[in-house]
Amino acid sequence: MTQFRLTFLVGLKEGILDPAGQATRNVLQNMGYQADDVRIGKWIQVVVSAKTEDQALTIGQEIGQRLLSNPVMEYFEVTVQAYE
Amino acid sequence: MNNDLSVGIVVFPGSNCDHDTIAAISSLGAKPVVLDYRLHSLPVLDRVILPGGFSYGDYLRSGALAAAAPIMDAVEQAAADGLPVLGICNGFQILCERGLLPGTLLPNPSGEFICQWQAVRVASESPLFTGLDQGRVLRLPIAHHEGSYRVAQGQLAELFERGQIFLQYSDAEGQLHGLTNPNGSVANIAGVQNRNVVGLMPHPERAMAAYLGSRDGWDLLASWLGMGENAVC
Amino acid sequence: MLTYQDVGLSAREDQEIVRLLGRRPNELELGLFGALWSEHCSYKSSKNLLAQLPHQGQFVVQGPGGNAGVVQLSADWDIAFKIESHNHPSFVEPLQGAATGVGGILRDIVAMGARPIAIADILKFGTDEKAPGLLHRVVEGIGAYGNAIGIPNVTGSLGFSAVYDANPLVNVLAVGMRRHGLHVGADGARPESVLILIGQGTGRDGIHGASLLASQDFGAETEEMRPTVQVGDPFMGKLLMEATLAIVDQGLADAVQDLGAAGLTSSTAELAYASSVGVVVDVSKVICREQNMNPYEIMLSETQERMLLSVPKKNLAAVLEILTWYEVPYAEIGRVVAGDFLRVVAESQVLAELPTSVLVGGCPRLPVTHDVWIWDGDQPAALEKTRLELTWGYQVIGHPDCRDRSSVYQRYDSMIGLRTVWGPEHDVAVMHIEKGSPGLCVAVTAPARWAALDSYAGGIGAVAAALSLVATQGAVPLGITDGINAGNPEKSEPHRKMAALIQGIGKAAEIFEVPVTGGNVSLHNETEGQAIWPTAAIGVVARHPNPEQPIADAPPYAGTRILVLNPPGKPDLGGSVLAEILGHPGSYPVLDVGAIQHSLHFLAEIISQAKNVGLLACRAVGIGGLFVAVAKSLITKTPMALGAHLVLAEDADARFVFNEMAGQWVLFVEPDFKPFWDQVFETHGVSVIDIGLVTDSPELMITAGRAITWPLIDLWRAYRKGGVRDVR
Repeated sequence: MTQFRLTFLVGLKEGILDPAGQATRNVLQNMGYQADDVRIGKWIQVVVSAKTEDQALTIGQEIGQRLLSNPVMEYFEVTVQAYE
Repeated sequence: MNNDLSVGIVVFPGSNCDHDTIAAISSLGAKPVVLDYRLHSLPVLDRVILPGGFSYGDYLRSGALAAAAPIMDAVEQAAADGLPVLGICNGFQILCERGLLPGTLLPNPSGEFICQWQAVRVASESPLFTGLDQGRVLRLPIAHHEGSYRVAQGQLAELFERGQIFLQYSDAEGQLHGLTNPNGSVANIAGVQNRNVVGLMPHPERAMAAYLGSRDGWDLLASWLGMGENAVC
Repeated sequence: MLTYQDVGLSAREDQEIVRLLGRRPNELELGLFGALWSEHCSYKSSKNLLAQLPHQGQFVVQGPGGNAGVVQLSADWDIAFKIESHNHPSFVEPLQGAATGVGGILRDIVAMGARPIAIADILKFGTDEKAPGLLHRVVEGIGAYGNAIGIPNVTGSLGFSAVYDANPLVNVLAVGMRRHGLHVGADGARPESVLILIGQGTGRDGIHGASLLASQDFGAETEEMRPTVQVGDPFMGKLLMEATLAIVDQGLADAVQDLGAAGLTSSTAELAYASSVGVVVDVSKVICREQNMNPYEIMLSETQERMLLSVPKKNLAAVLEILTWYEVPYAEIGRVVAGDFLRVVAESQVLAELPTSVLVGGCPRLPVTHDVWIWDGDQPAALEKTRLELTWGYQVIGHPDCRDRSSVYQRYDSMIGLRTVWGPEHDVAVMHIEKGSPGLCVAVTAPARWAALDSYAGGIGAVAAALSLVATQGAVPLGITDGINAGNPEKSEPHRKMAALIQGIGKAAEIFEVPVTGGNVSLHNETEGQAIWPTAAIGVVARHPNPEQPIADAPPYAGTRILVLNPPGKPDLGGSVLAEILGHPGSYPVLDVGAIQHSLHFLAEIISQAKNVGLLACRAVGIGGLFVAVAKSLITKTPMALGAHLVLAEDADARFVFNEMAGQWVLFVEPDFKPFWDQVFETHGVSVIDIGLVTDSPELMITAGRAITWPLIDLWRAYRKGGVRDVR
């Protein structure tokens, strides 16, 4: 078994209102920045043990779906790299 | 009565303890002056309060968006010039985000909002709070989601040495221990001061009458307004 | 081609539409009908039943039909209040579903021109492994919205049963105050006024099935079903609330309507219908948060935090100035005209035009059924004489329905606003209004088990229980609001149960002379054929004579006499927690409403002179019966120094101690006043019995033949943590 680092980006699906992003965009605009849109999500790292990188990614897809994101309103992306 | 004392109360979008704070300041006989967050300068004032609530919905980080509001430049300048500034709950968070107070307020370890009556002990006498003796225990409400006070490594001893720790969560007898710490704050810290700037998590403006459960907030705010024991009902 | 089935209508309803219009509706029009003739918007299954509830009363300012009922509290203040449900959304997405439920009912109150001052939550959950997680997230959602917008959550009700496993109930009561004499509502729009849509940008949220339709028939391209979850934004809700209240305080709008179910469609149509005017809505003017939204989506979006204002032209500049100040987005989306129609246009092109008398008023309603549900299966064996057992005390007070709620209500801000004299740690909330003014007493109940078998008796019991709570404060009930939750109304049994429940509520309201000023009906709480118990959430608002000094709910010192006011002649465990524990749920008894009404009057009179008759404290008997009422009076005191010794008749048994028949009270009185209370039947015609006294030993002892003793610390543990295993 080898250890792999899974990195998840979890965000609200397109079309789902993001009140925090909207308020942050407005403040950035008030500060003088040309911020046209802000969406806020989560960044999550999980270290897993797996036989291969592919297997680690499969695990990543599974836990992203089952726990780390709320499929009703969120999407996620996962990337994998070797963990030193 | 201190009719001449004017107290600025900064209203950010989403502030929701502003009405309560205005009522509390009025009942103490001082003159509340509502300050809109878009102001770039302050009128002539004797004190400024950043009230509690959910400025900007507490989005991004509690207090972070309000700390970038235009009026905060003026508040920072006035604080530097010696104007007493008090931040309550979200106001405390804003002052920390702005760097006017040391430390930061993290989410409660439970991950949950907590609203309850809480005993707090005056940790050190302060020239900002005349007549409020060290060791005095006050019964005040707390109501927050991010109240876990933390400082950078090694900074705590310094804060104690300089007498910057103002309030600590305690039991009704003023004893400090883990059981009386509602939110995992380091050293049970509920309020800190930095020269003329003070921040506290409890809500004194909600404890202004016995029928509301406590009148200790009256004593605390009267002391901050320099009315000490002379405040009149 | 869109058909009536696609929008959820029946063939009969489709024919009725064609008959009333004299033509076939186009696709957009059919969609508007689908929304407004849905159960959710039209109340077609319940409206005729609800119409039978008593709506009139001395203090009623506005009855049902508006966004909320309004009653008069004092010469200066009116109270707007209503219960709303958000059951289905809370099951799909518990946090956002519950949060938007709070936001929605608060907007109803604001749309009446009232400033919200309190909310209360009435929750029912299942008993399966999913339930704790659902409860946690629902509480998170209610807190997230209420705490952030800054309205205190002052009281609530929480119950559990397996019937709610797949259909949890999330009902929220909101209460607001406005100056007496101020009239604000959806019914004042006048021709020439401008329609302004304010608040959040319109997105595709909450279009439910309609978004699927949109992708089939209106040319949208997406493969997956679009997310339809509505996200609550309490920050925008706060700005919207402040801006709306500023506008109505200055009398700048002639009508206000919040956007809830069916969004712009229902708000524009209902405003037009209530005001007897026509409206023209230009969908091209609506601010959209998403690209390429079609008229159908714009008209049916359920994006939260939006409000519709009708503003006379002369006030327009002032209104826009207020909206700009509060940074609330707005758009002029149409105008009020003479007529009786809703016309939807896109610039100069007319897309739909329907008479509101048909769209809002035309939906065929289910006739009233007099064939109400009565239990006609095997009569469950009534519990015979049952000797009191030690373990039952712990089992009942540790039952999920009786247990301590601090882990829930401490997650809500209950103190903001400086009005909460008594909050959720008490059975009833007491609110301060202003110096010298009467206060407000707020209570909620939802005793679902009572209505499980005999919904009619349960409906009476629910109202009696709510009124019993405010009576402990000597408060005068001004009105009640009912949240009806039931199964599929198209099936006979759930429909007859709902009918029985509503008729029970109506009967009680009539006898107790308290009007029902509005409420909410949530049907189809049914999954795989398993319907919930018909569940009535009852909220009551009452005038508190002396809010700075509530009558205590716990005895002050040892030696205090303990009395029961209006003990039932034939105590019956039907529908009680103990009966459920013993596996004999039984049927809730039909109450002696006359005796209860008499006791309510007596309490109102006696509490106004409590000191003169030595009345020190008072608590209503509710879930868990007399046992829990007495025990809570002892274990919620800090320190737990006072106990009680109850001495009951030799033949008194568990039925006396654990029955949940509403309309009984525990009174704590000064021993010196014993002569007055001994004769109260002769002098006042109410039944009062002396059951013992408060002791300085921290235990609850009951002697009925033999003596049983419950140390308070063990009762407290069971109350806090539940279960009998923890204590013995």
